[in-house]
Amino acid sequence: MQIEITREKILKMLYESINELNEQLGKDNQLAQSSQTKLLAPGTSLDSLGFVNLVALIEEKCQENFNLNLILSNSIGMPGDGDPFETIGTLANYIEQILIQRQESLS
Amino acid sequence: MMSKQMNGLLISDFNIENLAAYLKNDSGIPQVNCEVAPYGQVAQSLLDDSLPFWQTSLDFLVVWSRPEAVLESFAQALSGLAVEANKVRDEVDEYCRKLLLSKNRASVVFAPTWVVPTFHLGHGMLDLAAEVGVSRILMQANLRLLENLDGHSNVVPLNTGKWVELAGEKAFNPRLWYLGKVPFGNNLFKAAVRDFKAALRGIQGRARKLVILDLDETLWGGIVGDVGWQEIVLGGHDPEGEALVDFQRELQALTRRGIVLAIASKNEESIALEAIDKHPEMVLRKEDFAGWKINWKDKAQNIVELVAELNLGMDSAVFIDDNPAERARVREALPDVFVPEWPVDKRLYPHTLCSLDCFDKPAISVEDRQRQQMYATERRRTELKGKVGSLEEWLRTLDIVVKVEPLEISNLSRSAQLLNKTNQMNLSTRRMTEQDYMAWAGVETHRVWSFYVSDRFGDSGLTGILGIEVADGRAKIVDFVLSCRVMGRKVEEAMLHVAVDWARSSRIKEVLADYTATAKNKPCLDFFLKSGLKKHGENRFAWDSTQEYPLHPAVRLVQKTINT
Repeated sequence: MQIEITREKILKMLYESINELNEQLGKDNQLAQSSQTKLLAPGTSLDSLGFVNLVALIEEKCQENFNLNLILSNSIGMPGDGDPFETIGTLANYIEQILIQRQESLS
Repeated sequence: MMSKQMNGLLISDFNIENLAAYLKNDSGIPQVNCEVAPYGQVAQSLLDDSLPFWQTSLDFLVVWSRPEAVLESFAQALSGLAVEANKVRDEVDEYCRKLLLSKNRASVVFAPTWVVPTFHLGHGMLDLAAEVGVSRILMQANLRLLENLDGHSNVVPLNTGKWVELAGEKAFNPRLWYLGKVPFGNNLFKAAVRDFKAALRGIQGRARKLVILDLDETLWGGIVGDVGWQEIVLGGHDPEGEALVDFQRELQALTRRGIVLAIASKNEESIALEAIDKHPEMVLRKEDFAGWKINWKDKAQNIVELVAELNLGMDSAVFIDDNPAERARVREALPDVFVPEWPVDKRLYPHTLCSLDCFDKPAISVEDRQRQQMYATERRRTELKGKVGSLEEWLRTLDIVVKVEPLEISNLSRSAQLLNKTNQMNLSTRRMTEQDYMAWAGVETHRVWSFYVSDRFGDSGLTGILGIEVADGRAKIVDFVLSCRVMGRKVEEAMLHVAVDWARSSRIKEVLADYTATAKNKPCLDFFLKSGLKKHGENRFAWDSTQEYPLHPAVRLVQKTINT
């Protein structure tokens, strides 16, 4: 049975990933659970290892929540309209688009 | 409980930043700050003592490697080649030679054992075969690692396999490995942090020493006052009864690691003790408990009295009770007592007890193994005190023998343990590793003696330390440490007698003692105030060593070799 993919579900998954990542980050570098939270954008508090950890967490949770394999690392620095890793909100849009395409291709 | 921040360094051939992050952000005691050596440079970091991180004072060092990265033979085994056991051993020995170069650079060195991702262990029947079995070679390598580390008291191997089991199927993380050269999942690092922190607390002398137990529904099932000892749930062909017997066995095993048991129970004392004496499946008997408060009073109050009677601190105690209301009461009234959450299901009691990491200590001494017996002896001693008249009369009946010997390798472990965990009779409360203490004692102007105390009831073992530093022609007592188990038996005076006697034989005219107050060492101040030493200012005590300091007639002093 197909699992329904919605932006809300994806945001919830991203916030869970942020929660886990925050256990590793210092008090001053905690990421907020918000679609406005910057990832790879000027003013971000995320360092490169933090970003790697976040990507691994999101990929793992995608598999668990939607039973779909997502390889975000292939999308870093990809040419296109805007950077999907700019904020949590842009990343949610990007993941939604990829997962729906993946689901459609499997059905 | 306050604790100083500990500084550490992590050396690894994989990206160990995640462990550093969890260590730094974990709120448990002690707080940790740690640096990470350049990634992938284990040998270089260990061999080059000019590197900047070696110039700082390190409380701990973690050297964590992957076997395939540091043992060529293991990498060959992973690629399917046959490997001779001798070659593995030689490479492990060589690795350990490098590892042990760092043992003087930090107070303690942690060496997690080697593991490989579980997918490497899927060789079926070949896994344990000679020369090609990856699991077999890993076991041989780890065993050789442990053999190499034996005898180096500040180098502590930690069991990575346990962390793998705790982290389950997420122990290894291939995504993180290929993205950032982090082989392990975060659950494994979290399990490791719990062990590192528990080990650091143990090294700081913060391991818990006392378990205070409820009886009804905790040590046995049912209410003994209602059903009688014959009907309590314990042992037999009953899942809960069997689990409770196992729980008692685990508690008894703790006593062999130096943990003391006591009881705080709302019950009729005679009925509860009858159950302990008579129930055929009780593992723990009266002699297994250092003390008990079995009455209808507030448990928090009973715990305060018990802890005081046993001369321990609240931060030594763990309280186990099935009743959440009693747990909440003790947590609220006595925040330093550790009150673990306790499961409703009695079949989980043994597992829950074994999961507590508050008892971790770097070593178990002979005294640790005999502690429970010592407390039982102390109870008999106190009973005698009640029967004889004056204190002097009681002391004379004890036949106290105090044996003194200089600090040496044979007594170093117990002496350092005593130095690091004694709070009450402790003049300066300084904490040092075995290695640092031996080095301090080796300075020409320093002397350290260890004191053994016995009496007709038994041998309390090494229970005192006296450390002296000579400066400006005066002998300053730096360490005056005595276990609470032998306090008040004129051993304190015997230690001062030894200090003054040595000063006299060394032609030193004055013995000084500077008391440093802590939250717990007022008993030490009280002793010095009535010791006969002259008080100067707030905290200094002095004895003119042209005069002998008397030895109490009830004490027989046996001196091994006193270096002058």
